[in-house]
Amino acid sequence: MDNEQLTGLIRRAQGGDRSGFAELVDLHYDAIHRFAWKWCAHRADAEDIAQQACIKLARSLAQYRFQAPFSSWLYRLVVSCAQDWQRAQRRHLHAALPEDEPDHHAGRPEDAIHLTQLLEQLETLGTGMRETALLVHAEGLSHAEAGEILGVSESTISWRIHTMRRLMNKREQVASTL
Amino acid sequence: MNTQSFERQLQQIDPPPPDSAARLRARRAALEEFDRVKALRGQRHSWRAPRVWLGGFAAAGVAIVGASLYWLMPASERVVAFRPVVPVQARTSARPPAVPDQSPPPPAEVTAAKQRPAPRLPPRRNVAAPAAPSAAGAPIAEISARASNPTAPQQPPTSAITAPAAVAAVPPAPPRGDEDELAEAQVTGTRILAPPGTSAPTEAGVVPAGGPPRGSNFIGNTIANLRGLDPTFGSRTLTLSDGRRVVSASNQADVNSAPYGAAQPQANDKFEQFAINPVKRTADEPVSTFSIDVDTASYSFVRRQLNEGAPPPAGAVRTEEMINYFDYDWPAADSRELPFKPTVTVSDSPWGTGKKLVHIGIKGYELPARQRPDVNLVLLLDVSGSMNEPDKLPLAQRSMAMLLDNLKPTDTVGIAVYAGAAGEVLPPTPARDRDVILRALYSLRPGGSTAGAAGIRLAYDMAARSFRKEGVNRILLATDGDFNVGISDARQLQHFVEQQRERGIFLSVLGFGEDNYRDDIAQALAQNGNGVAAYIDTLNEAHKVLVEQAGSQLFTIAKDVKLQVEFNPATVAEYRLVGYETRALAREDFNNDKVDAGDVGAGHTVTAIYEITPVDSAARLVDGLRYGGEEKKQAPDAGNADEYGYLKIRYKLPGSDTSQLIEQPIAVRTGVPRAVRRDVAFSTAVAGFAQLLQGGKYTGPLTYDDVYRQAKDALGEDPRGYRAEFLQLVRRAQGMLGQR
Repeated sequence: MDNEQLTGLIRRAQGGDRSGFAELVDLHYDAIHRFAWKWCAHRADAEDIAQQACIKLARSLAQYRFQAPFSSWLYRLVVSCAQDWQRAQRRHLHAALPEDEPDHHAGRPEDAIHLTQLLEQLETLGTGMRETALLVHAEGLSHAEAGEILGVSESTISWRIHTMRRLMNKREQVASTL
Repeated sequence: MNTQSFERQLQQIDPPPPDSAARLRARRAALEEFDRVKALRGQRHSWRAPRVWLGGFAAAGVAIVGASLYWLMPASERVVAFRPVVPVQARTSARPPAVPDQSPPPPAEVTAAKQRPAPRLPPRRNVAAPAAPSAAGAPIAEISARASNPTAPQQPPTSAITAPAAVAAVPPAPPRGDEDELAEAQVTGTRILAPPGTSAPTEAGVVPAGGPPRGSNFIGNTIANLRGLDPTFGSRTLTLSDGRRVVSASNQADVNSAPYGAAQPQANDKFEQFAINPVKRTADEPVSTFSIDVDTASYSFVRRQLNEGAPPPAGAVRTEEMINYFDYDWPAADSRELPFKPTVTVSDSPWGTGKKLVHIGIKGYELPARQRPDVNLVLLLDVSGSMNEPDKLPLAQRSMAMLLDNLKPTDTVGIAVYAGAAGEVLPPTPARDRDVILRALYSLRPGGSTAGAAGIRLAYDMAARSFRKEGVNRILLATDGDFNVGISDARQLQHFVEQQRERGIFLSVLGFGEDNYRDDIAQALAQNGNGVAAYIDTLNEAHKVLVEQAGSQLFTIAKDVKLQVEFNPATVAEYRLVGYETRALAREDFNNDKVDAGDVGAGHTVTAIYEITPVDSAARLVDGLRYGGEEKKQAPDAGNADEYGYLKIRYKLPGSDTSQLIEQPIAVRTGVPRAVRRDVAFSTAVAGFAQLLQGGKYTGPLTYDDVYRQAKDALGEDPRGYRAEFLQLVRRAQGMLGQR
């Protein structure tokens, strides 16, 4: 689908066309889900985040003004849903269940666990680090694009990327000397 | 540590493809939101109603509550998005809902204030949610309540029990004469219901005199006190007019006297208490009779409780409703005239060596689309202040909206509401005018107190106006279960519903929210109205009840379905009916066509399980008598030693008053056909789970682990994930209630 068609579809959906909106969701669900999964490395959580994002899309599509590319706008929306999820997770570190089902759908469960640990580590490095790392490294976006999505300047993104590398290297050195 | 750089690891993340069921769920939720937003935009001016910033504050508070609850739910539950509750918030200007081509009813709040100058009740608050947002929520709610009722006298917050003087102040009956019989006594913010005059002295004796203390502790105490006030409270309303549901006095002392030691953050949800069916000796009582139960409310409620970290109160666990929540592939009947055929299987009991389980499964005839009768539906929504929670009115609106997808363009939908006063929002309108209906539906705002009876009358009037002689005429009542009518009058309400049933207008009840959920009344009304009582806690549940099962909700294929099993003393020493405690019938009621019983809708599946102890088993619980010579009776009679018993089912076709009979023997060598093996195993697991939740009186060594394994092995295709969700629930219960 080229840009023009996409614009037409969005306008239809904004105008209240139900099937147009459905098509828009169908078109982007995979991408939304992919990013959500990268964020949390957990099947059910990713589905939740993705669903929230779809609902939010319905709610805020009217506010999309075609100023940024739709994909950036959508990224921003998904990131904010993921952040909401993250906050809620932190607020309610409720009692662990007797057995937390590992994610059977991931290629190898240990991959998912490892990724979770990595993401949590990045999280501890500072605000916005997880977001930045995922957008730049996992999604392959430019610093400018990531900055646009996260609402910070390109140089902030560059600084974050640099800082993360520095801190992670340091940690690894510490770990290897132990 | 990993040798790869973290950048590289991030680059290599390879998410699995999305699950198609999850994708569908997300799509559905998004489309539903799309509809809602669109409908709201259609009445934009009402969005722009002047709003004090406190109102915004309240909305933010509720949104936070919603958000916290949302993420507290387990993954599969989280379909109901926490949404900004802005459209539902209290407003400064009480304006009528914007409804096209219809002169709207007077604004509920204003009318209520005029009709009832007596103490206004602030909306009830979520008293006991484990997420504990209520502490912050309560004052906000109060502010918004005042804001929306500028004329209301200042009242203490909900937490305050009104002082004795206020208790005695029974509000004057509403002006309409025919409502006298439904006069109400508003006693406290928790709206305990009592006939005027009877309970006031008791209340006054216990409630501390003087100014009401404040604070959340007091709320808890208050509720405890109120429970203690009247030991029969909560069960009195439950007794049907024919007295079949009478509850033994020893049983009803406290809704919360669950078998778990843990402190229970319970609120005002009311459940009928019942004693678990005992083991019966075939020699003493060979015949077992009960009415079918197609409700599923119990499962959704239990699920919600467990997901919120609270063990469900014992009365909330109705085994048969837990079992019947799931669809089973019992072979369906193939004609409308013989609407179902029973499937009977016999398997070993997983919780009793030497015992066997007899499954009786029924699947109602599926009506093909072209055979579907016309539908005349009236949605009756409780819009009282108590519905102002994300999981109440907003969820009800969204649920009802989904139902529209399943109607024929010519079917009609009317909308009525009740709060302080009842009002018609939308006259019966053809379903093809989807936008009109949606706009009316989403225009509803909560506010005011509850007067259930007047609303029901209005809804019946509307349904009568657009009555379809050959079609389905049904009222769908959405409420948090609180009917603000006195206890003795609840019976009159039931009677009224019964009368209307005779006229051909049926009633189903959809329950929402918690803390005040009057399961007992909802059950009683739906049963008397030839309807279903369902409890809706998430949008997923709404979809299941109103879309997937729309046929069974709307189209009755058999009325007054009763089951009777006569066990053979020659082969069965003891038996026990698992569940159906509240549906027991007297033996003689079976052939009495005047006695009402449960109805089966198109495609409904209903399952009953008996646990039997064969005569030759060592597992018998009840000793034989030394005197009485029953040994003689147990001598195998020639000819039927190969039968465990004999099954009889009575039902009436819709529109008929004479019952039909289906009979079939239960042979000793009955096994479990391969086609239904999974369903038998899964329903057995659910039965085991429900019994464990009830305290496991008869389940011997059975553990949650056993249930988990058994259910897991029987998952089958599970296209919508309901069975997988059950597994999660078992784990949750295990985590909460210990390793038994």
